Formats: sequence, C-alpha cells, structure tokens
Amino acid sequence: MRRREALFLAAAGPTIARSQQLAGEPPGRIPPAAEIINASEMEAIARRRLDSAAYTAIADTGADRAAFDRITLRPRLMVSATNLDLGANLFGQPLFAPILAGPAGGQNRFHPEGELAMARGASKAKAVLIVSERSSVPLEKIAAESPGFWYQVFPEAGTTRAKIDLAVKAGCKAVCLTAGAGGTLHWAAIEGMRKDLAVPLLLKGVMSPDDARAAADHGLQGIVVSSYRGVPVPGMASPIETLPAIAEAAGSRLAVLIDGGFRRGSDVLKAIALGARAVIVTRPALWGLAAYGAAGVQQVLELLQSELARDMAMCGKPNLAAIDRATVRLHRR
Amino acid sequence: MRNWTAGRRQAIRAMAGFVAGSPLFGWQQDPFRDHSRVPKLEELLTGLDFEPVAYAKLPRWAYDYTAYGEGSEFTLRRNRQAFDWVRLVPGAAGSGQEPQTATTILGTPAAFPILVSPTAAHMQLHPDGEPATYQGATAASQTPMIVSNVASVPFEKIAPAAKGPLWFQLYPRQDVESNRELLDRVQAAGARAVVVTVDQQASVYERALHDRNLEAASLRRLTGGTRGAPRNPYRVPEGRLWYEWKLFDQLRPMIKVPMVAKGILTPEDALLCLEHGVDAIYVSNHGGRSLDYGPSSLEVLPEIVDAVRGRVPVLFDSGVRRGSDVLKALALGASAVCLGRIPRWGLAAYGVPGVQKILEIVQTEFKQAMAATGRSTLASIDRSLVRTDFP
Repeated sequence: MRRREALFLAAAGPTIARSQQLAGEPPGRIPPAAEIINASEMEAIARRRLDSAAYTAIADTGADRAAFDRITLRPRLMVSATNLDLGANLFGQPLFAPILAGPAGGQNRFHPEGELAMARGASKAKAVLIVSERSSVPLEKIAAESPGFWYQVFPEAGTTRAKIDLAVKAGCKAVCLTAGAGGTLHWAAIEGMRKDLAVPLLLKGVMSPDDARAAADHGLQGIVVSSYRGVPVPGMASPIETLPAIAEAAGSRLAVLIDGGFRRGSDVLKAIALGARAVIVTRPALWGLAAYGAAGVQQVLELLQSELARDMAMCGKPNLAAIDRATVRLHRR
Repeated sequence: MRNWTAGRRQAIRAMAGFVAGSPLFGWQQDPFRDHSRVPKLEELLTGLDFEPVAYAKLPRWAYDYTAYGEGSEFTLRRNRQAFDWVRLVPGAAGSGQEPQTATTILGTPAAFPILVSPTAAHMQLHPDGEPATYQGATAASQTPMIVSNVASVPFEKIAPAAKGPLWFQLYPRQDVESNRELLDRVQAAGARAVVVTVDQQASVYERALHDRNLEAASLRRLTGGTRGAPRNPYRVPEGRLWYEWKLFDQLRPMIKVPMVAKGILTPEDALLCLEHGVDAIYVSNHGGRSLDYGPSSLEVLPEIVDAVRGRVPVLFDSGVRRGSDVLKALALGASAVCLGRIPRWGLAAYGVPGVQKILEIVQTEFKQAMAATGRSTLASIDRSLVRTDFP
C-alpha cells in the first residue's frame, strides 16, 4: 500500500471516528447500567431491549402519576442527617429501606434468567422481593437467591392454601393475597387461608377504609393499598390519594403498604408521611431486569433508596420514625 | 472512482476535502443548535428573550448548568407556574406620578427592590466572569449584587471592578472556625451583608449527571469538588448533611454586617431563624435546585411573611423573570426580590451590556406594573394588589 492510500484509509477509519464527541444519547445505544440516573431512564433502556409485546406489558402507563404531582414536600432545614437511617421493620423482618420489589408473573418474558435475576438484583440492593405465584422459575431456586422473600397469590377455591404452604416451606416471610383480580374474595375463605399460617397474611388491593377495617377484623396482619384489579379503570382514584383515609382506618391494627406509580424516592417519602409503612415498586424493577438483568434491578432499587435518603435529609427527617404528616402538603390540583 | 495515479497536488486536494468532511472535524459543530443569527441587544424586549441567545452562545453543559433543577425538575417548573396563580388587580389609574421605587435593604440603598442572586461560576458564561456581572449590575442603577461563595473570581478581585453595593453568599464549612478567614476577607473587601445558604443538603442535578456521562470533563471538575465522598450506605453526598441550627449562633460573631438565611421555605424554619439571630429571611428553593417536589417559593411566601410579622425583612427568589413577577412577590410580602438566571442569561448572551440591559428591562417592567396597578410608592404595595389561587 502506498503512503497516500494509507492516509485516505486512516482519515475515514474507526480510530478517528472515535474522536467525535457524543452529543446526546445516540439512538439505540445501551449505556452501562451505572449511567442510568432514574427509573424513567431505565424504562427507555428496557424498551430498546424488548419486543413490543413484552414492552407493552410493562410500559409506564403514567396512570397514578398525576396524584403525586398534587403532593409537595415541606423542606425543613438545619437538621443534621449525618446518621441517616432508612431502616424499617415489618413483622419482625428488618428492612434496609422501606422499598420492596413487587410481584409479576412470567419474568422470563423480560430477561432469559427471569425471576432468578430479579431475586439476585433485589438481594444485592438489600431489598425484599415479593415473588408471584406465576413465577417462571421454581420457588426454591428464587429462595436461594433472595432468602427474605415474600409470596403473592391469587385467591382460588381449594388451591390457594396449598400454594401458600409450599411457599412457607420454601422460606417466605409473608404472603400477599391479591384481591379482585379474576376471582371473588370471600372473607370466610380468607380466614381459611389465614388459619394456622406461620407467616403474616396481607390483603393486596385494598382501596377503601371499610375493606381495611374488615381486613383487621378478620385477623389479617397487613394490607397493600393498590388499585390492581386486573383491568385498569379510567378515572379511579390513585392509591396514594386513598392512603390517608385507609391508614387512619387501619390505625395500629394493620401494617399498611402501598403500590401504584412509585417512580421516585420522593413518592416513597410521601407515602410514608401519609401513613404507609413501606412501598412496593414493580414496574421500575422489571425495567431494570429487562435492561440489564440483575444489575439493572439492583441499580433501579438503589436509585430509589438514594433518592429517598436525599429527600429525607432535605426534609429534616433522618429516619423513618421522624417522618410525619407535616412532611407533606396536599393540593387540590 | 478517482484515478489514484493522479499527481501529488491533486491527491492532496482530494485528501483535504475528504478529511474536512470526516468525523475528525465533527467537534467543530455543535449539533444541539441550529445556526441562526444572533440578534442585536436592542432587539430583545423581555428578559425571556435572552435565554435563547445564551443557549446559542454557550456550550451545552454550561447552558444546562444554568437551566436545570433538582431531580425531575418538578419544582423548577412549579416556580414559573406559581406566578400564574397570582393575578394583579388593577387599581385606580393613580395620581399620574412617577412610581417611587428606591428603598434600603438591610442598610444597602437600592434604586429598585431588586438584587442579583448569588450564582456560581460566571466564567462558564463569559470569559470576564463575575467582574462583568458586577459592572453590568452597577450600570443598571447600582443594583446590589450578591457574590457567590463559588464564584469564578475571588471577592476581592470582583470588588474593584465597579462601584455598586456587594453582598457575599457563604456555603458554610463544618469546621466553623474555618469560615472565619473567608468572612473576614470579604467583609474587609466591602461585603455589606452575608447570605448563608442552608438548603441543598443533598441535591443532585440529573442533567449534570447526564452531561458528565456524556463526557464533559469541565463539569466533572465543577461538581466533583466540595461535596465529600459518601460514608452512608445510601450513597448520599456527605458534604452538607451536618447542617444544624447552632451554625448561625457560631457564625454570628464572625459576621459584623447583616446575616441572612437563604433557602427558608416553611414558617417553622423562619421562626427558628429569628431565634438564632438571623437579620433577614431569604425565601428561596434555590431556583428549583434544592429539593425536587418541594413547593414553589411564591406559594409559601405569604405564610412565611405572616409568621415573621415584619420583625425582619423577607427576601425572595426562584422563578422571577418579569417586572410583574417582582411586583407579585412584593405584594405577597417580600421586601426585595433577587434574580438568578436573569443576569446569567444577560451575561452569557452579551457580557456587561447584556447584564445591564436585562436588569433594566425587569426594572422598567416593574415600574410599569406599579403604574398600571395604580401604586406609586413601595409602601402602597400590599396584598390587596393580588388575587391568589394557589392549588
């Protein structure tokens, strides 16, 4: 090759192409997981990774977001937060932070390792994972990756208690019974599921103070305020809006958890201020799973933990017990 | 295909053309902006007109540094919305007198109840940095300027650049004694008040992280410095988590001039400020850069003013862009209003004349708003001037 030919080749070569500065996110680039800055960005990466059917199943509907925009935080200054502590305790189980990874069936739709990667990521982020009864991976394998896991079931005549007993045998620390989706829920049946159960039973899908009172009356240990009823109903109130009345009805009789549209640490802080003991995030964890497997799950959960910690510091609440109703202000619009 | 056996000169010409179009020279073009004409200073009519000019002239990361807010920028947006929730009620056409706008803020005389907020690193915006901002502010009826603790130029080097009043803003350091030397220096150099910023204990700018990920080493330098590596398990920057109320008691003897607490957003904290010897409350959410989903400064101003009950002046910033915004804040009880992004846009867009012009635009608008609402003195500006509809 002659010298001038070599120069021509060099000018157009990849070495020089690299010297071009990247301006914005080039289309289709998958950045390293550490560059993901918030949950919404994780969704964008998940979208690039998934086919449209899988993505549609976990796309952000934005359904419950508007309600969070009607709640502001009240920053309280000059309270030392050098001893910041997000630790919580649910039914005797210590939590690193009041953020749990929620249940979703068939996670092999989003990542080849499915629930295993989810369990590994949650575990790395020191977060409790709630495993769906419709898991694509056997419970024992998940238990090995995420020992403090919880279990979620749908009520079905006859079979539910057997499933719960298997989960307890595999080591689950609590069971969430999802109300509404598909089957009908009878309090008598719930009592049957609760009887002699070694772990706490929570009713998931509570959206009214009456249901909260009934849950307490029937001996449940906790509820999850959640609008998940199988099909989304336009115009229905968001869980975060119904939370204050439900938390009041529950009083100290029930541990109140919540899910529905949690995307930011500030959302979690609002829920704690309005009476929740902990928050369940599902879609963001699935975005992390789809985007980067276990590393993505870990990253997105840790981002939420950090955001919550920063917001607590700036509201002058260095621990969860310090968070009170005056931490937030509710707005009409 | 070219005939590569051509002569040397022809080959060089082809080579030059090829290289010019190669990615090697991609850096010369900033794909984030179109290449439109920069308007003349005289063509700009409102403060808002300066932002696109600043955008066109700045590198991406420097523009972002001025523009962004904390987290999802909810509070950044709310700061502007809040001014739409306050409407001015037109009064009687007035006496036809020229509105009287001169006032004294903590002993500092000012032609208008308007100051320049402390903002960081003006050399990002213009090679002349803070001295240029100061000259522009002084040219605009001696507008008092609050010099940031993280200015590109030391206070003593800014002070000789013009004649207008200067204040100093402090980011307190945990070893309280180590603040003394700096405070002595700036007071000796003529600072007429010290603003102690106490918000932003743990703020993160997501757009800055983006820019950092995309390579801007200059920004990494800017944000990497003072915060301190996290010792907590939540990866929260440690640098400012230690803030406590006793700080004001410790700083008080070091500050011979008025001491202002900046970042107050609740009546509770305003009252605590009074207990700790603060001479003025500065209501601010740091231009939406402190706590995401915190309130707009404007919506909490009335309740703070009510709590303070006139015992000390209340300064205000965050979201002010127009003279009418200044009037709204005064009507809700602010003694004076500070402008952060406005002079930054002026400086980035046109240097000294830009700062002067953009401040004069807001000052003129303020005067016009006073006249239009029939208020000819600052004392006559009160809550009857506005109708509020905060959500």
